[in-house]
Amino acid sequence: MVTNPIEKELTKPVVAPTPPKVATVAAATDVGTRNVAIKVENFSLFYGSFRAIADVQMDIREREITAIIGPSGCGKSTLLRSINRMNDLIPGVHTEGNIVLNTQSVYGDNTDTVLLRKRIGMVFQRPNPFPMSIFDNVAYGPKLHGMRDHKKLSEIVQRSLEQAALWDEVKDKMKQSGLSLSGGQQQRLCIARTIAVQPEVILMDEPASALDPISTLKVEDLMRELRASYTIVIVTHNMQQAARVSDMTAFMLGNTNLEDRSGRLVEYSPTSEIFTQPKDKRTEEYITGRFG
Amino acid sequence: MRIALDQGLKDLHAEVLILGSMVEKAIQRSVEALRSRDASLARRIIEEDVQINELRFRTEEHALLLIATQQPLVHDLWAVAAILNIITDLERMGDHAEGIATISLMIGDEQLMKPLIDVPRMADKATDMLRRALQAFADHDSAVARRVAAEDDEVDALYNQVYRELLTFMLQDPRTIQQATLLLWAAHNIERIGDRVTNICERVVFTETGHMGHMFKNAPTP
Repeated sequence: MVTNPIEKELTKPVVAPTPPKVATVAAATDVGTRNVAIKVENFSLFYGSFRAIADVQMDIREREITAIIGPSGCGKSTLLRSINRMNDLIPGVHTEGNIVLNTQSVYGDNTDTVLLRKRIGMVFQRPNPFPMSIFDNVAYGPKLHGMRDHKKLSEIVQRSLEQAALWDEVKDKMKQSGLSLSGGQQQRLCIARTIAVQPEVILMDEPASALDPISTLKVEDLMRELRASYTIVIVTHNMQQAARVSDMTAFMLGNTNLEDRSGRLVEYSPTSEIFTQPKDKRTEEYITGRFG
Repeated sequence: MRIALDQGLKDLHAEVLILGSMVEKAIQRSVEALRSRDASLARRIIEEDVQINELRFRTEEHALLLIATQQPLVHDLWAVAAILNIITDLERMGDHAEGIATISLMIGDEQLMKPLIDVPRMADKATDMLRRALQAFADHDSAVARRVAAEDDEVDALYNQVYRELLTFMLQDPRTIQQATLLLWAAHNIERIGDRVTNICERVVFTETGHMGHMFKNAPTP
């Protein structure tokens, strides 16, 4: 017997598929507004008489990732290091304007830089574990700030390593030297060391530029997870990295005028906008690789 | 690894499925409006096509953003490229439904020259194919996609049947030409919907294999 396929189809009940929840769609577009964690107010920094960065004005929002991009020498690392006053260590540096962490002035006369750097941790380009055990690397900060209770220290070390997505890889070799780890693991150890003192802000200066692509993606995923608890500011040469991980992107550019080569903030926008519809022609030229 | 990319792809898939179910509903209702001479339903379909267009543009924006920020490659890139094509086809199918609703309004208060049987059948077949093509898209199932594409022949066969029938009416009684032409347009809209479902099927296969190409030749229309 030949059955008509159309008849067969027609006997099937017509049921509309359940559409997925609309909430997942809204989540993709939801930008949200958060409080400002760091206010950079009309900030300039001079190396002697040379003005390296000029009149930078930007609000960095809490629990977001803010990326600073720009060609070499545009002052992006200098700006990052200004946030926890790392530039103080360089002779001849002076600043104008101010940076405010929540309500506290970073450049106030009474600012204790040790306490400031507890609140604003930093991760550097090259992984720089101390030549000591994995445990001691992470416990170093809390110990420095007076923590002596071994049980509590162990808890902090475990929690920090877990947050840095390294715990499972090192939990059985806590006494081994931090230097015995691979480059990517060392960098995550440095991140664990930074978060052990529970900072509010984590500054990252090219945190993945010395890592292979797989380790780089691991560090990027880690950043996305840390974002739930910390404000992160990252400087990167890698524009794709800024695009992948950040919520806001700041594009800096050194003035081409030979009289004044100061780095300035050209554009500061949500990452979703800066990589699809930059406002400034120079930003477009830079992110499309046409100069810089 | 690649949490943000994976989430972005998941969100895009969800948007395509929502768009697909909106379009499926529009097609079914447009034929229902035509069959039951329901002018207010026809007007609603025309109004609601705006929402289909908006979701298409929003999805396109999200796809471009994902390319710009997450640099999808290989399978991920194929998926985004496929989605950009699929949403265009879906949006055009929405336009076909809107076209049928417009035809329904053009026929106005006139009684239908004959009860509609094969046109609703075509629509049932086409929407069933659409639903299964989108399921294949959601399941990454290129075998199902190939099967669904092959079924477009049935839509085309029904279309030819409708064409011949309406032609007979027109030859017998020239007063039917006006309405018969409009009904033929409606049938043609559904025939095009079937072709666009096969386009979606081709994209599902592309998402899996990275190979582009026609699985199916669109039948010549009379």
